[in-house]
Amino acid sequence: MKMTPLLLVFGGLMVFWASVFAMVIIPAITLDRTPSEIWRPWTEKEAKGHDLYVKNGCSYCHSQFIRNFDWDLGAERIAASGDYAGQTPAILGTERTGPDLSQAGGEHPDDWHAAHFTNPRFTRPESLMPSWEFLGKENLENLTAYIQAEGGRDADFRVARQQEWKQAALAAYQSGPDANIQWLHGQIPAVWQPMPNPYPATPADLGRGKKIYQQFCIHCHGSMGDGNGAAAPYLQPPPLNFTLLRRHLVENRYIGGIFYYQIMNGITGTGMPYFKRELESEKIWDVSNYLAVMFLGYTDANLEPRGIEASYEPPWKNGYEAPAAEDVK
Amino acid sequence: MLNLSSITARMAAPANGWTGFLDRPKSASQAFLVAGAAWFVIGTLYGLVSAIDLVAPELFNNIPWLVFGRSRPIHVNTVIYGFVTGLLLGSGLHYVPALLRTRLWSERLGWIGCFFWQLTVLSGPLTFSFGYSQGREYAEYLWVFDASLVISVVILLFDMLMTVASREEDTLYVSVWYFVGMLVWTCGVYPIGNVMWRPATGAVPGLLDSIFLWFYGHNLPGLVLTPLALGAAYYVLPRITNTPLYSHTLSLAGFWTLVALYSHIGGHHILQAPIPNWLKVYSVVDSMAMVIPVGIVLANLWLTARGRGGAIWRDPAGRFVMAGTLWYLITCIQGPFQSLPSVQTVTHFNNWTVGHAHIAVLGFSGFIALGALWHVLPLAAGRRLYSERLVNLQFGLIVTGLAGFFAVLTIAGLIQGSAWYNGEMVYRVLPQIGVYMALRAMLGMLIASAAILGLYNAVKTITSGEPVALSAASEEVNP
Ligand code: HEC
Ligand code: HEC
Ligand code: HEM
Ligand code: HEM
Repeated sequence: MKMTPLLLVFGGLMVFWASVFAMVIIPAITLDRTPSEIWRPWTEKEAKGHDLYVKNGCSYCHSQFIRNFDWDLGAERIAASGDYAGQTPAILGTERTGPDLSQAGGEHPDDWHAAHFTNPRFTRPESLMPSWEFLGKENLENLTAYIQAEGGRDADFRVARQQEWKQAALAAYQSGPDANIQWLHGQIPAVWQPMPNPYPATPADLGRGKKIYQQFCIHCHGSMGDGNGAAAPYLQPPPLNFTLLRRHLVENRYIGGIFYYQIMNGITGTGMPYFKRELESEKIWDVSNYLAVMFLGYTDANLEPRGIEASYEPPWKNGYEAPAAEDVK
Repeated sequence: MLNLSSITARMAAPANGWTGFLDRPKSASQAFLVAGAAWFVIGTLYGLVSAIDLVAPELFNNIPWLVFGRSRPIHVNTVIYGFVTGLLLGSGLHYVPALLRTRLWSERLGWIGCFFWQLTVLSGPLTFSFGYSQGREYAEYLWVFDASLVISVVILLFDMLMTVASREEDTLYVSVWYFVGMLVWTCGVYPIGNVMWRPATGAVPGLLDSIFLWFYGHNLPGLVLTPLALGAAYYVLPRITNTPLYSHTLSLAGFWTLVALYSHIGGHHILQAPIPNWLKVYSVVDSMAMVIPVGIVLANLWLTARGRGGAIWRDPAGRFVMAGTLWYLITCIQGPFQSLPSVQTVTHFNNWTVGHAHIAVLGFSGFIALGALWHVLPLAAGRRLYSERLVNLQFGLIVTGLAGFFAVLTIAGLIQGSAWYNGEMVYRVLPQIGVYMALRAMLGMLIASAAILGLYNAVKTITSGEPVALSAASEEVNP
């Protein structure tokens, strides 16, 4: 076969357009455009936020679809083609330097996003996400609105839940530090309350707890545990001052179960995220011991009730004295 | 043998008027080549900024134009369109006329094409930095600049077709097919992929957009970079080894299977997204079949060069092109492998793909583009290469940097992908890839220095390279 200019140009065009027909035009004709059950249109503010998302290249670090073997943020809903109806452009993304955002709506309350967009390290000390403070307050609000709409009706449900608990948490916060803590503890199931930390607070255990604290908590609760981290000015209610907890031990003895429960589940409506996806059991107990020893000067580690010791446990005796009831008041 | 003496005589004649240089033979080719060498520097510096953003996100804190989301698309678009494609277009403007034993039909049209092309590339740093972007990966340029790129391609295509029409050599050599083919296909691929009929967003609504985008996203390597790079390799290697092309049949088979298969596999970028299953099956099967065009082309090139390895290694440009074909082999073994759904459960969404992208775009097409630069620039400028040693140094730096990239990015990707697969959260895995991100930034400095050396060498070659005696300059050994 001899390659002539005619064959080159027209042959090339024919093969190419045949592929276009198969790979682009047929899908364009046949793809189902019906919106899915979670779909809803964007408000003007959300659309503006989406525009910022597109123009600032959030998509180079965040994907927008959940696969059936994902565990991270949004894993409760596998993406369906109708979720994207009408979105222009729906950028699915090819990189997960940060988590998938297709279901991020309602994951956190707005104030968490205000702190996070200003500087992601405020709420996520080891984040690689850039600060977006330079976009200005209004743009950040639009971005937040967009993120809160990610997940459509499912997100609306979560956002409403955040708002409901935000009201309650704010009311509690305004009623004073001690009443706030009583309210917080009042939400915790009774079985968790009189529960000691089952892990001995050895130096190694506290060292691991410290590492967790620095990786996850430090810029909210602060290096002194007083709730004055860099994120604090953005959060309402502000992060808890742990030192206050000295006077809120259950039966003047227990705090481990409360810590565990709060860290595991988070406090919806406040900036306090849940950590149950990121920290497995031992890590939560370790950081609980660290909080207790560092900021309360007391831990209930290894107190009764306690079962048979685990095989690895060293001979460790809890030498911490519970604060006397009168000197904490 | 092509008789260039009449042309070179004109070249030596004083330029008439200030626009005289626009008519000087092979000047448009040189413009593309020098601009490409400059974009290599700028594009990699933006890559370095992006890499630093991923190591020390506070370093450029609140500097809008260096923020990752903006510097990254500048990096990617500048290296792809400015550096690699620019160099390959520039070398084609030289080799197509040379292979047809004629001159470029219109040098001025070549310049106009070059101008519109560079305008589009320049728009990257000038618009993305300030948050003006269409945001679809590889299709970020704003509509006006999309239009400018298409104008450039149409002009170059016209110029090429006229050159072909006025040729004095009857046979079209395989490099010409690829070069003209690329221009023909780009006229289709680019507007479709950039959804140019919707200027405001450059996108169609809904999930369908991802099908358009990745049709484009894979035809950019497949029908733009690959044909250009193969065209250049088919030109440079036989000239260096001074051997005839091994097989015309293989050339034909490689060419037609490339366009038939490559244009079908865009779906493998969105395999895990909720696109129709038939599209996934189609793209995976054809991705596997890609070993056919790749194998054919490599066999043809390597058999042409067999027994002449020494000559290639001793030639600085030949070394780059040969290494490029090796990266092509590696890329195209990795490519079909990572198209398998079971492999993608671990390799998708992480630095594994970034590793593939660098050995593909820099290793394969970038190496061949650099080889073409160092081979063609002296021919087009009629001057000897300023420094062969600098080219060899550049080669060593890039090979080290890129091999390092491939290693650290693949490792980082496997760490991320395996951890996620086991249920680990993205945030938790960040500290684990920190060291690889740091290594990547350090290795990037090698590549950035190589780019700077290259620009220096290219500029020196056209300004103060030793002029070559006419007979030597015009000696076209056509493969
Ligand atoms: C350099 C990559 C990068 C870029 C660019 C980026 N992010 Fe992120 N993002 C991350 C990482 C890493 C995380 C996880 C750590 C954290 O929460 O900060 C994250 C987390 C987030 C979260 C929190 C998710 C959650 O609920 O835990 C949101 C929301 C978010 N990003 C939105 C955005 C938006 C909007 C943009 C664009 C304006 C953006 N990101 C750009 C890397 C990036
Ligand atoms: C984004 C900021 C933020 C981060 C990060 C954060 N917290 Fe909190 N935390 C809060 C806020 C806000 C509250 C609730 C304040 C309120 O309602 O008064 C809170 C409450 C708590 C409580 C409840 C105490 C009680 O007695 O009920 C515990 C325990 C706690 N945080 C531990 C942690 C630990 C451990 C980490 C890290 C693994 C962490 N927090 C990370 C903001 C944060
Ligand atoms: C045989 C041929 C090839 C096959 C089958 C192949 C396959 C793939 C696949 C499956 C991906 C997506 C990976 C993922 O996201 O999980 C990918 C990405 C990529 N490939 Fe290839 N590849 C081939 C050759 C090439 C060549 C020759 C180039 C460049 C010249 C190239 C450039 C790229 C780029 C830049 C990406 C990254 C896209 C992104 O941003 O996500 N590939 N390839
Ligand atoms: C100094 C040298 C370089 C450095 C430090 C560098 C760094 C980077 C970084 C940080 C990214 C973004 C990765 C991510 O999103 O996680 C990237 C992407 C990319 N770079 Fe480079 N790069 C360099 C040189 C090059 C060169 C010379 C080329 C091509 C010729 C190139 C082609 C690409 C491509 C195609 C992508 C997109 C990858 C994808 O989406 O999968 N890079 N680079």
